[in-house]
Amino acid sequence: MKSNGTRKKNLNGVIELTRKEIIERIEHGAKRRMHCSARNLVRLYRAGQLEDAGAVADLLALANLLPDNDPLFGNAA
Amino acid sequence: MATPPELAKRLARVRQLTDEYKAGDKRSFDAVRNLADFLLRLTVLKPSGGVRLASIQGPTKRFVAGGWNGPDDPLPLNDGKYLRLAITLELVETKDGPRLKVFESSIQYQADRDGKDWIFRYDYLRYSPNPHPAAHLQIRGKLLRTGTRNIERIHFPTSRVSLEAIIRLLVQEFGVKCNEDSGVWRPVLAESERLFFEIAHIPLSVFPV
Repeated sequence: MKSNGTRKKNLNGVIELTRKEIIERIEHGAKRRMHCSARNLVRLYRAGQLEDAGAVADLLALANLLPDNDPLFGNAA
Repeated sequence: MATPPELAKRLARVRQLTDEYKAGDKRSFDAVRNLADFLLRLTVLKPSGGVRLASIQGPTKRFVAGGWNGPDDPLPLNDGKYLRLAITLELVETKDGPRLKVFESSIQYQADRDGKDWIFRYDYLRYSPNPHPAAHLQIRGKLLRTGTRNIERIHFPTSRVSLEAIIRLLVQEFGVKCNEDSGVWRPVLAESERLFFEIAHIPLSVFPV
């Protein structure tokens, strides 16, 4: 399996990520693909202003792992 | 060609995993993972790939089914391309007791790991924040007619599109080689899809407001 370099715990087909790991992965992907921060990506999506959300559906799925009151969502949560 | 008992075993596994994901308990998450992994291994998945659930550390009722290292790690296919899978699952209370729901699902066929060279993508959002149809297909291409909108920006409305339908599309229209012959994968995919549509949420493509 190809690793993307993050620490992970494998529990019977489940990869458990820390909040920090999740944020880092969203941040990395958002910067590289959308030229914006993780916070901005999520804010734009939740405001319905992300024209092509499907392009970053994997990053938005990672954000789904965070609790609804996570600081990443700011006032848009 | 698989003998009938081999096919019967695989069909029995599909029915068992489907019963488990429909049960709406803690096993349901793993049943979705196992079923997606099983269907892909039977068909287009490279042996080095696999489906796993991602979650945040600690107690949670939400998981994402995706590639081996998470939804941002696409699954390698037999044709050297990739399938990016991101299915957000959550256990929710309903009038019939707890049930597993798919909140968002995105399946993208792409030529590179990064997904810059994507080919098509199917998205489903139970609660969509934007005006696009909740279930839609996007195709990366250009219309032959000049002066029109780039086709990759168009969200073609669909009903629910199952993982089984995407697998069949990859095999039959894109020529991705299968790990088993059609005498096995066709009836297995057909049964799995039939059982999925017994409970699948079908969204409207037009929002009333």
